[in-house]
Amino acid sequence: MKAKAAIMATIWILISLGISYAEDGTFSGEVSVTGVIVDGKNDNAKFNEYRDIRTGVYGSADVQYQMLKDHVEFEAKDIGYNTQSYTLDAGRWDTFRMKLNYDEIPHNFTYDARTFYAGAGTNNLTFNGYPPGTNPNKWNTFDYSTKRKNAEGSLQLDMFKPFFLDLSANEQQKRGTYPIGVAGTSPGGISIEIPSFRDYKTDNIRVETGYRTKPYFFTLGYLYSQFDNGDGLQDFRNPATANTAVTTDTTYLPPDNDFQKFDFQGGVSLPYQSRFNVNLSSSRARSNSKLLPTSFADDVTAATSNIGVQGRTGISPSSPYFNGKLNTDNYNFVLNSNPIAFFDVKLFYKYLDKINKSDNINTVEGTEVLSNSLFDYIKNSYGLETGFKLPASFRLTAAYSYTQTDRQREDLPRNRDNLVDVNLKWSGLDFAVLKVGYENLHRSAVFNSPPGPVVDLEPWIRRFDAAPLYRDTFKASAEFFPVENLDIDIGYKFKRTSYTDTILGLTDSMTDDVNFNVNWQAHKQLLVYGYIDFEQIVNHQYQRQIGFGASPTPPYSPPTAAAFNWTAALNETTYAYGVGANISVIPQTLSLELAQNSVKSTGTVDLTYLLGSVPFPAGRNQDNIDLNPWDNYRLNDYVVKVVYQMTKIVALTAAYAYEEFSYDDSQYDGYLYYVPGSAGGYLTGAYNNSSYKTNIVLLGANIKF
Amino acid sequence: MKRILASLFLLFFLIVLSPLIMWGEEVGGNIELCKTCHQDRFNSYSKSVHANKGVNNSPANTYGCESCHGQGMDHIQKGGGKGAGGIFSFSDRKVSAAAKSAKCLNCHADSRGLSYWDISRHKSADVSCNSCHTAHSGKKMDLKASQPDLCISCHRNHKMQISKQSHHPILEGKVKCTDCHDQHGTFGTKMVKASSVNELCYKCHAEKRGPFLWEHPPVAENCSTCHTVHGSNHDKLLISRVPQLCQSCHDAAGHPSSIYSKFNTFQGSSPSNKMFARSCLNCHSAIHGSMDPSSRGEFFVR
Repeated sequence: MKAKAAIMATIWILISLGISYAEDGTFSGEVSVTGVIVDGKNDNAKFNEYRDIRTGVYGSADVQYQMLKDHVEFEAKDIGYNTQSYTLDAGRWDTFRMKLNYDEIPHNFTYDARTFYAGAGTNNLTFNGYPPGTNPNKWNTFDYSTKRKNAEGSLQLDMFKPFFLDLSANEQQKRGTYPIGVAGTSPGGISIEIPSFRDYKTDNIRVETGYRTKPYFFTLGYLYSQFDNGDGLQDFRNPATANTAVTTDTTYLPPDNDFQKFDFQGGVSLPYQSRFNVNLSSSRARSNSKLLPTSFADDVTAATSNIGVQGRTGISPSSPYFNGKLNTDNYNFVLNSNPIAFFDVKLFYKYLDKINKSDNINTVEGTEVLSNSLFDYIKNSYGLETGFKLPASFRLTAAYSYTQTDRQREDLPRNRDNLVDVNLKWSGLDFAVLKVGYENLHRSAVFNSPPGPVVDLEPWIRRFDAAPLYRDTFKASAEFFPVENLDIDIGYKFKRTSYTDTILGLTDSMTDDVNFNVNWQAHKQLLVYGYIDFEQIVNHQYQRQIGFGASPTPPYSPPTAAAFNWTAALNETTYAYGVGANISVIPQTLSLELAQNSVKSTGTVDLTYLLGSVPFPAGRNQDNIDLNPWDNYRLNDYVVKVVYQMTKIVALTAAYAYEEFSYDDSQYDGYLYYVPGSAGGYLTGAYNNSSYKTNIVLLGANIKF
Repeated sequence: MKRILASLFLLFFLIVLSPLIMWGEEVGGNIELCKTCHQDRFNSYSKSVHANKGVNNSPANTYGCESCHGQGMDHIQKGGGKGAGGIFSFSDRKVSAAAKSAKCLNCHADSRGLSYWDISRHKSADVSCNSCHTAHSGKKMDLKASQPDLCISCHRNHKMQISKQSHHPILEGKVKCTDCHDQHGTFGTKMVKASSVNELCYKCHAEKRGPFLWEHPPVAENCSTCHTVHGSNHDKLLISRVPQLCQSCHDAAGHPSSIYSKFNTFQGSSPSNKMFARSCLNCHSAIHGSMDPSSRGEFFVR
């Protein structure tokens, strides 16, 4: 792939130069070479989660050729590394513009993960003998990592202005090894973490044409997107069964799909400084999948009772294939007007209709018949936004919107949202701008209690995504600029959500958010800056524990050892700060940059048994059950950078950076790869051990021409 | 007759060519005059696309500095200074955002990407073109800073969000704010570049598009039911941690309703795969939808 990238880079350079020589112009750009030394435990995936920083030499270039009418730019970054990117941007003013781009994004999850499987990262995971060994030191090691490669090209034609034509196409590939989890048996039983493969390919093509002038415009667009995931199956040997077949189980991966969308957009200017805009689109997503892959035939003779162990036997779907089809229509209309100097208004209407036309499949599984429900929904939304310029430099904006959602869902089929938003801004002082705002959301919902006798806790559950709620949001901010070159910003936001009808589930949520920022050009040679951010999120949940198969009892029933209520108070506090200075030690010659950033988060879950006089389960009390630490982490980084402008065209850079990430969490502390028992499982170390400390030294040269 | 024809020809000549002659006189305006006091501004302007005579209607082809700043003679006669002689200053905080943007829209109103400026949230929030762009620069799109710093300079609280342990690669420079948002306005809320949140997410995460045999309704309706976009303290950009996130909806008899405490972690006396490591996701991996026709698909464990 590196060779491919190098070839592409060379071709693009040649193209650039070819175009460049077509006409006399100005050649400019910069090339930099940077040597990097990484010291410390940089073998942690978290350090390089989306990066590729390692000991080596990094090169980048940005070359431009400007002519009177034509322009060409070629940019290359991190040449040869997992983060490499190349862009060629060329065109003729008012005529056309073309762009070619190639980009890679790594996503590293965990290095040196372990599994008893052979073939990690492939579609067939096996192991010898039964049961698999439980000593992870004897297991195979591998990395959880994926890489996304994106190649795209676009062409914009403007030579027939005001008509235009835009064409673009891209291909995204995502490959690597990714953790998924499966249940060994069903229901319950052991869990198995599987080093699955990712081999995604998505091709997109977009065409847009239209007519654009000042009084009006319209465009017609078409998008086609195709996602390819091979046969979408992950075969593996299930360690929950003694079956000696090489592979005894299969899990389904995302199916191939395609998507196409037609859209029309337009706008026209109207009297009274008004404008009417419209956006109409219709799209269709499809997927096709074989529900009973050929590999299933191996075990079709297994007993029905074996369902849940091998799972792929004893079922009979009404069709061997599933054809998924989802149509979406989306219509937007917006009329905005500024009829008088101190008043503006915007009226809008939005209609979004998702229609699920997928196959309805009935599967006979033992004595049960399963049927997929075809989820779809319609959203109707309308409202207005108004703005008033008031005396004494006040500006008031007020908005109201109503949204109704109707969805194919048993519990909460309808929502009605009323949203009011009011903001006041005062810019009456020469040295400050002050803003306050308030937003209120009232969501009502239609709730359908499950038909027939109560078989579960459904009558008391309101799922938060559609549950009735009141939400208040208060905002305040102030910008101060008491002297030139000094900016101070303070912001505060408070959001409180009460799920009014919820008895079981998320009952309320609260967020506090404060931020402070200062930028001061204290001297021509000195810029200092700093920021402090604080955020606290508190959620409360009210739950009821009922044993599997037990008859449900309402939440207001007296507690018993088998059926009782419990609560969870989730609290996460995050603060971040940073300080820095840019110092021009010798103007135009020597500069110094200093920076430090820090992010820290602490989380807890305060659990409470509501047992009344019922004794606590063995060994437990209200104080020793809480979850703490809960996604606790701290990220610190320090950077010192010196730039010496040796000549007008050559600059030398030396930098030192230290980065430290420490992570502590109850769910990962004391990590075990194998946990015995029916509630245990086989793990691989995914996401475990993400702490790191790393020193980085950079020495670079930059040539500008 | 010849005289009439000659007169008509002369008239035509004057009508057609006189503007060109006039234009020729005024091309570039009085740049040299402005330069005498504003050399640094002239230097930065010279690097920008506005100084390019190859671009039709660029200031270099029209009135130079006066194309944007207005007539300069009064300004000179009054001895210069910010706003003196009615000169238009983009850095003057007292000048309204609308007035500043209007200067740019004189030429750019029919530009690609500005079709919806009138309905954009930025416009109604008094953001002007020069909040992000400078007419004097050699930088790409004449931006005052690169992303995400430019956007964060107003959206302050996003600085911390994108620095959280779980985030899109925004700080790493691999995802830009404008990959998802159209800063110049769209029909969608939050100025996103799609008809719905899910349509936006599927642009990069096409594998989640389905349609699946078994759909998870909150997932199919809105990704942001469970995920936050800019950054989270929890893996996978989740709004809350698993198992609590799942339990806030699934309180069914059996393991979904159980209280999972420290006793169920690796170090507890009753470790449970519903709690340790990835909790619910240890088994329910196909949470975005499943194609398995059996009950295992219905419960997203395959």
